Amino acid sequence: MKLLLPFHLNKVGSGFPSPATDYVEDDIDLNIHLIKNIPSTFLIRVQGKSMNGVGIHDGDLLIVDKSLNPKSFSTVIVNINEELVIKTFVKENNQSFLTSGSKEIEDKINLTENPEILIWGIVTYVIHAL
Amino acid sequence: MLYNKNKIALVDCNSFYVSCERLFNPSIAKKPVIVLSSNDGCVISRSTEAKILGIKMGEPYFKVKKIVKENDVRTFSTNFSLYGDISRRVMKTLKQFSPQMEIYSIDEAFLDLSSIKDEDLLEHAYNIRETILKWTGIPTSIGIAKTKTLSKTANYIAKKEKSGIINLVNSKQIDEILSRVKINDVWGVGRQLTKLYIKNGINTAYDLKNVHNGWIKKNTNVFGSRTAMELKGISCVSLEPHQEKRKSCCVSRSFGKKVKKLEELNEAVATHCLNAAEKIRLDNQTVKRITVFIRTSPFQKDKNYYANSKDIDLAIRTNDSIELVKQALFALKKIYKQGYQYQKTGIIFSGLKDSGNFNENLFSKINNEEKRIRLMKAIDNTNMKYGRNSLSIAQAGYKKNWNAKRQHSSKIDTSCFNLLPAVRAL
Repeated sequence: MKLLLPFHLNKVGSGFPSPATDYVEDDIDLNIHLIKNIPSTFLIRVQGKSMNGVGIHDGDLLIVDKSLNPKSFSTVIVNINEELVIKTFVKENNQSFLTSGSKEIEDKINLTENPEILIWGIVTYVIHAL
Repeated sequence: MLYNKNKIALVDCNSFYVSCERLFNPSIAKKPVIVLSSNDGCVISRSTEAKILGIKMGEPYFKVKKIVKENDVRTFSTNFSLYGDISRRVMKTLKQFSPQMEIYSIDEAFLDLSSIKDEDLLEHAYNIRETILKWTGIPTSIGIAKTKTLSKTANYIAKKEKSGIINLVNSKQIDEILSRVKINDVWGVGRQLTKLYIKNGINTAYDLKNVHNGWIKKNTNVFGSRTAMELKGISCVSLEPHQEKRKSCCVSRSFGKKVKKLEELNEAVATHCLNAAEKIRLDNQTVKRITVFIRTSPFQKDKNYYANSKDIDLAIRTNDSIELVKQALFALKKIYKQGYQYQKTGIIFSGLKDSGNFNENLFSKINNEEKRIRLMKAIDNTNMKYGRNSLSIAQAGYKKNWNAKRQHSSKIDTSCFNLLPAVRAL
């Protein structure tokens, strides 16, 4: 899992040397910025449209950290009915719910009433191709 | 004694390959699951549910097919790139719990916990177990004791406990636990020693612990003594945090279907040779001797069984793929016989040594050595960046019809961009 973007300041090697070359640090390594905990972070692909409301689309790439705990409105990967699915985690009056995407909650799954549903990981970033 | 210098934990992943398959597939979380070796030959990992059904470790698949059908046992071919990636994650997570760690295999590691107070050991172990499970999704068992052999033994029992942890440091249970471990399940006791011990009434780890030193010395070798001492709590096998470089390197595979033609064998041997050469170059080593072996199926011993091997000693050590493939194919030609159905071939590089810096010799100029070293570097870098076998040599073939069957592979790879796992948004 290595993603390197070259960061060019000096395009052509002729003529007056760029005064900026002294300031170039290194290539930007997206791993460093997007992945805080390497062993617990996984790249996972989205299939389906239910999360379009929060900007997560079919085919998008998710950066998922298993080591984190969910906060209200975290996007989470959960194990429901023997399948890994993506949902929004919501806390309300000391109870936890899962909803599909939008903040206007319609489909609510009560986690307190369904203790067999386990949180698999927390989505930290979405990579969407335009 | 207030302070024990040696406290060693063995952390072992439970049914590791099965646990990896379950990570992205919750539908098999509670089902019996097995993983088969290459060519779907033998059972090499079993879930607890599969163990209960009576499926044994190492059993050929055709022998358990009936149990598999009748009980809806989920069956997987090996997916080693997935297992390798998950293993790296487990080991990286473990590393934070101890500065001294020895990775013992793909799914187990020894940790030095000497800096942890005796009374805190259990809690520390719980913490390790919880963290590995949360971060990587892999369940583990932990055995803690004063020696490596004892921690292995503790781990063996921990696997059967619900808590998954057994601590033998200053434990009153130690003899009771050792008496639950059969002599052949003790680390370092092989088949021959087992026979000898059982003949002399030594049936458990507890029995071995109480055998007189003199008897052990007289009747076994240094390894036998070592194991017995370790069971008594005297450390004889130290932790090896730095992995020693390998002295030999073997790459071999069974074919997906039987192979008759020399051309196809050539492809397979060249491919294995390239894989092995890449490994040793990564460790900056060179080869002294090449061994090529071929064989037909051992299950057809009666009709037309053939197995042979050929060694070639190199005049000049090298790690140059082109030279190594040339020599390997020459060796293969010497042992190849027409009219046999080959099932397996492999290559062994031995007499490995550090290559050090570029050493000029009498033939360096003629062989263009410096240029070749740069060529190998270019090949390795390309393959590291764009995936294995992006750049290969023609003898390794392209179609590779002989490649192993992996009919039940999960085809998920957390370290490959095109094979990432998926979640549903519904």
